[in-house]
Parts: sequence; structure tokens; C-alpha cells
Amino acid sequence: MLEFTQSQPLTLGVELELMILNRRDYNLTRGSDDLLLQVDRKPHGFDIKPEITQGMIEIGTAVHSDVNAMLEELLAIRKLLVDSAHKLNLGLAGGGAHPFQHWDDQRIYPKERYQLVSELYGYLAKQFTVYGQHIHIGCPDGDAAVRLTHYLARYIPHFIALSASSPFYQGVDTSFQTSRLTSVNAFPLSGCMPVVDSWSAFNDYFERMEALGIVASMKDFYWDIRPKPEYGTVEIRICDTPLSIETPVLLAAYAQMLARRCFEEEWNDICSEPYLTYSYNRFQACRFGFDGVMVDARTKQQQGLQEDLLDTLRALEPHAEALGSQRQLAALRQRALKCHSDSRWLRQIFEQSGSLSEVVRRQSEHWMYAEPGVGVN
Amino acid sequence: MTIPLWHNLMLNPLAAFGILLALGVIGGQIAVRVARLPAITGYIATGLIIGPYSLNLLNQQLLNEASLFVQLALGIALFEAGRRVDLRWLRVEKTLLATTLLYCLLVFASLFALLNASGFGAPASLMLAALGMATSPIVVLEIVRESRADGQVSERLLTATALSSLLAMAGFALALSYTHLSADHSVEDGILMPGWLILGSVALGLVAGLVTTQLNRWLGGHQREAQRVLLFGLIALLVGAADMLQLLALLALLVAGMSTRTLRHGYTVSEPGILSLSHVFTVAFFVSAGAHLSPQALASHWQLALLCLILRSGIGMLVWWLAARGNGLSRKQGAWLGLALSPMNSGSALLLGLGMVSLGEAAQSFSAALMAALLINEIAAPILTRLALRLAGETAGASHA
Repeated sequence: MLEFTQSQPLTLGVELELMILNRRDYNLTRGSDDLLLQVDRKPHGFDIKPEITQGMIEIGTAVHSDVNAMLEELLAIRKLLVDSAHKLNLGLAGGGAHPFQHWDDQRIYPKERYQLVSELYGYLAKQFTVYGQHIHIGCPDGDAAVRLTHYLARYIPHFIALSASSPFYQGVDTSFQTSRLTSVNAFPLSGCMPVVDSWSAFNDYFERMEALGIVASMKDFYWDIRPKPEYGTVEIRICDTPLSIETPVLLAAYAQMLARRCFEEEWNDICSEPYLTYSYNRFQACRFGFDGVMVDARTKQQQGLQEDLLDTLRALEPHAEALGSQRQLAALRQRALKCHSDSRWLRQIFEQSGSLSEVVRRQSEHWMYAEPGVGVN
Repeated sequence: MTIPLWHNLMLNPLAAFGILLALGVIGGQIAVRVARLPAITGYIATGLIIGPYSLNLLNQQLLNEASLFVQLALGIALFEAGRRVDLRWLRVEKTLLATTLLYCLLVFASLFALLNASGFGAPASLMLAALGMATSPIVVLEIVRESRADGQVSERLLTATALSSLLAMAGFALALSYTHLSADHSVEDGILMPGWLILGSVALGLVAGLVTTQLNRWLGGHQREAQRVLLFGLIALLVGAADMLQLLALLALLVAGMSTRTLRHGYTVSEPGILSLSHVFTVAFFVSAGAHLSPQALASHWQLALLCLILRSGIGMLVWWLAARGNGLSRKQGAWLGLALSPMNSGSALLLGLGMVSLGEAAQSFSAALMAALLINEIAAPILTRLALRLAGETAGASHA
């Protein structure tokens, strides 16, 4: 039986997986240990930890109610990391996947869980050298978490389009806005949570899976959105790590507004029908970004993703006001209106320079030094 | 038409190059598969066996004729070593620069004291001590490539290697100057010649770096293959030009590599893999380096050569161990970095001619001592470097440090 820890509703936390690069050709480098050694030489209370391969590092914020405070914390973490990276001549960058690293060159971090994942999944573990943003939203109880997970599934394509930043993979343009999610799809327990309507139903499902020896903990589910009972949150795991330090905050603000609407309206319309089109809509967003289409299985209507996002943002205005996130809502609307995405910017740099090393150099410079408000677009 | 008889057959340079490569690869594989040693050790041992001082399958003349490929291999390695030096980083990370300087200074002083006490005389001791400061870029790069080493120890090792080569060449020119002046040669010989060597080589390297960067920029990143061929051509041209102008090709190449890393638009110089593309030349380089080694030189100088190796490695481990924290490393990593710096620069042998001219009677002993040091070093040091990187946890499949 999984116990769901109660948490303050609508509180937020984000986790960002970052690339560790050499500053010679901007390929991934085995730098997580060296960087952590350097970071930990200064006293700090931040959550900075290794990830599955050694060219990755993960940072996490504390729990916030106010997204502006979250941005302040992210800036402080960035300063600490950048100071340490300078000492070691390492680059750090956002982006969902490194454009030209070779998966076989990556090394699994020597931690028991990662070694087990590597043994179980073989080359998939090394191919999992992709970089995502996770957003945690506080929920009052497990039932609310189940409801919120289903509610957010409808908006997953929005998060994909807003965060897409991995158009290149293994040295080629994939023609996708985000190639990262293809790596995630390969895992057998990826996708979405089954259609359960309460925390007890979820527990039944979990226990059956556990009894079959398929899972041992929630970590074994690689779902796009999943309840996180030990934190008392719902975790959105679909986003690429954005290129800018402030975009994660915009995405968190969007999730917070959506969650508020779900809780305020006491939404409980859980059924299997929307999942008929879930994978298709997700694919459209990965492939075409703002230009994708979304199919509503209930109304049997199609709508452009950009239009759907703008409609949703309009509907969220009262919630933005209540949460004090009007500035973030306006910034999101601007992005949607202008179809601004990190992927487009990365393609433009490649078009100009012809060099993927230069692409990564620019994305690293941006993550490490750009002031908030200076978007890539 | 008469059919040539076996004993009348003479190897031509192409056949010699083929033998160099084929036997080198076999020797390298034996080292890797049987003895679990770096392939370099196998290449060098092969050269040693087939060289003029042993089986004489390849005589001195054929080796000279194959030297073109050897110089190209060295040129590419030095260019790549130069590209590993990030001057912007060194401005921030002064500890790395200071540690490298201290290490080189201590190695120089210790080797000078040892050689002088062994009766080599000040001029020869100065030259040998200056050459002894340099770690071999080609050996270090090849070990890093072969063992797929990656991380902070490897990065600092490569920077220190390139810097030590720069210092060694400057030191050698100064020692040369001192030797000329103390032998009552003309002032032109004593000052102008070393000055020309240093400044001319640096200028040539800078010009080459500038030209390389601009031409690559003009070609554009969409012409990757053309950029690679161009880079290869420019390196060959630089080696040839340095030879024609009687400059230090080693220094010019290092400077060229460094400038392409530092100059604006330097990123346009294609980075990944120029050394891996030139692997053919690298194998030829090591086999040829082995063939040039004279086991006979060991007879009179083996103790001294062994002492030099121990001294260099010991100083390296101590200095980098002490400076580990400042370099962002653990103490263990620091010590292993110091050990990894063991390979002496076999390119030093190319400077031998310059030293020989000015040393007069002492030249024979100078040459034999350097040969002995190189022989022991080239066999043992690659093994030490790979071991050090493995213990530092930076090679593929290494245990975690």
C-alpha cells in the first residue's frame, strides 16, 4: 500500500536535468563527479545530484508557492554551478537532447539504482541520456492526485510544444521539435497512467504490478505524468529542459494555473475516451510543435495546437490573477502567438553556422549567462 | 627480362611504410591481447625489433625516407595538443598554470642537478633537463584516445602536456643559446639563432592559426569534409614550411593549435577526430620511434635513464598531489595526474641535431643519454599513463575513483 503524503495544494517544485559539456567541441563529458566535488566544497542547501549517465546533472528547487521565488532560487543555483563549472572548464546547458553525442560513449553513474536500470534495460539506459524538466504540483490527497493526473493529460501537448528543445539527435536533424520523447517511449512502462478513478484503485493496480514482479516502486513507471506519493505531488515529466533559466518557471506557472482550475472546478470527469487520442496528440506536438493538431475524441473535433493553447490561456486568466502569475501568463501567450520555440532557435543557429558544436556552444552560453527575460527568440 | 633474385631485392619507401604499418599493427595487437598493455607499447617494441639496431629489417635510410609520415603524425598530434590549451580557462584557472610551471621548474632543476652531477657538464645537462620537462603530446593523446579517458584529470593532463612542451622548447632554445655563448661561438649563433627559433616559430604558428581559422570560416560548417582535408593540408604545409625556414615545427604546430582555439571564429576549425583520422600515421610514428631507439645506449646509461624516469614521475605525483585541491581534484586524482605526465617527448629526438652541433665533443654522450632515457621512457611511460588514468577512474570501464 502506497501512502500519499499530504502537501499544500498548488505548491510547486521543479527538477531540471542539465548537460555537462567540455568547452572544446561541446560534446558531453564525464563531469558529474568532478562538478559535484567542486560544488560541495562550498556550503549550500541546494538539491544538486547526479543522474543516470555521467554527462548529466540534476538540480531541484525547494517547494514554492510563488513562481518568482522559484526563479530567484534557480538563479542562485545557477550561480553556484557556473562558478564551479568555470573552475573545471565545463559547460552547462539546457536542451532536451545533446545534438551529436554518441550514446555508446556515455557512462552509467556508479549508483546501485542506475546500475540495475542499466542491467535491465541494456542500451536503453545509455540512450536515456536525455534532459527533461519535471514539475511537481502539491495535492491535498491521493484522490486529488489521481484526478489531477487525468486532468493534465489533456494538456500534455501544450507542455511539449512550449518546452521543445531537442530537434537534433545523434548528429542529424530529426525533423521533430522534440526528439527526446522517443527515447522515453522505448521503456516498457512509459506512456500514461491507467484509467483508475481513485487512490485506492491506483493502489490496487500498483499492488498487482508489484505482485507480478514488474515494479518495486513508483520510480519504475516512466509515465508522462505520475502521482508522487512520497512528495504528495503530481509530477509532469514530459517537458524538455528549456534553454533559458526562466522558461522552467513559466512552465511551472502554467501547470499551477491548470491545477488550480482542476481543483476549483472540482473536476472529476475521468474516463478512457480521451486516451484514445492521447498518443496521437502527443506525437503531433513532438513532431510539429505549435503547428500540430489536437484531436478531441469526445467532440470528434480537430483544432490547431496553437489555437488550443491560446484558448486555454484565455480561460486561465482568473486563475493567473488569483495566483499572481499574470506576467507569466502574458509571456506564455507571447510565445504561443509568435510560435517561439527553443527548437526553432537551435535550427536557426545550425543554419547559420553549419556546426552542431556551435549550436551547443550557443545554448550553453545562454543557459549559463543570459539574464532572465532574455529569451532565445 | 630477368627475374629479381631474393637477395637482390631492395625495399623501397612504400614497401618500408607498409612493413612499418603491418608489423606495427600486429605488434600492437599482441601487446593488447596477450600482455594487456597499451597498443603503443607494441608499436614501439615492434620498431625496436625490426629497426637498424636490431634485425635491421628497416635500415636507417628507409627510416629517413619514411620520416615524412612520422613528421605528419607528430604535426597532427601537436596541433591537436595545442587545441587542448584554452587560454581563457587558464586566465580563470591560475592554479593549473601555476602547478604546471612549478612541476616543469622542479623537473628541470632536478634533472639538471642529476645530469650535472653525473658528469655531463652544464651545457648538455641544461639541454637534457629542458627537454626532460616536456611530456609527449602524441603519447598522451593516443593513450587518452585508446582508453577513451574523459574527465577532469584527462583535461588537465592534456593542458599540462601542451604547456610543458612549450616550456621545454623555450628552455631548450635558451640552453642552446647558453651553450653557444659558453663555447665562444659568435653572438649571432648565441642569440640570433635561438631568438629566430622561438620568435620565428611562434610567428609562423600564429599565421598558420589565423589562415586556418579564416579559410575554415570561408568554407563554412556545411563543408565538413572539405574542412578536414584543408586542415590536414595546412598541417602538412606548416611542417614543411617550418623545415624550409629552419624553425621549430613542434613549437609552430603547438602555437597554431592554440591560436585556432583562442582566435575569434576558432570554432570553425573542425574539432572531432583529426587525430583518429590520422591513425595510420600515428602507428607509423610509434613503430618508427621504436626503430630509432638504440638498445646499445642502455649499456652505459640505463641507471641514469631509469633514475630520470623515477625522478620525473615522482616529482609529478608529489606536485600534483599537493596542488590537487586547488585544481578541483581529490588528492588521489592529483597524484595520478602527476604519474600520467610521465611520457617524455620523443619529439625531443628531432631537436637532437641542433644540440649535437653546438656540443662538440660532449655530443656523443649527450646523444646516448637521451636515447637511453627515451628507450626506457617509451616502453614504460605509456603503461604508467594508462594505469594512472584508469586509477583516476577516467578510462572507459575503469573502477570509480
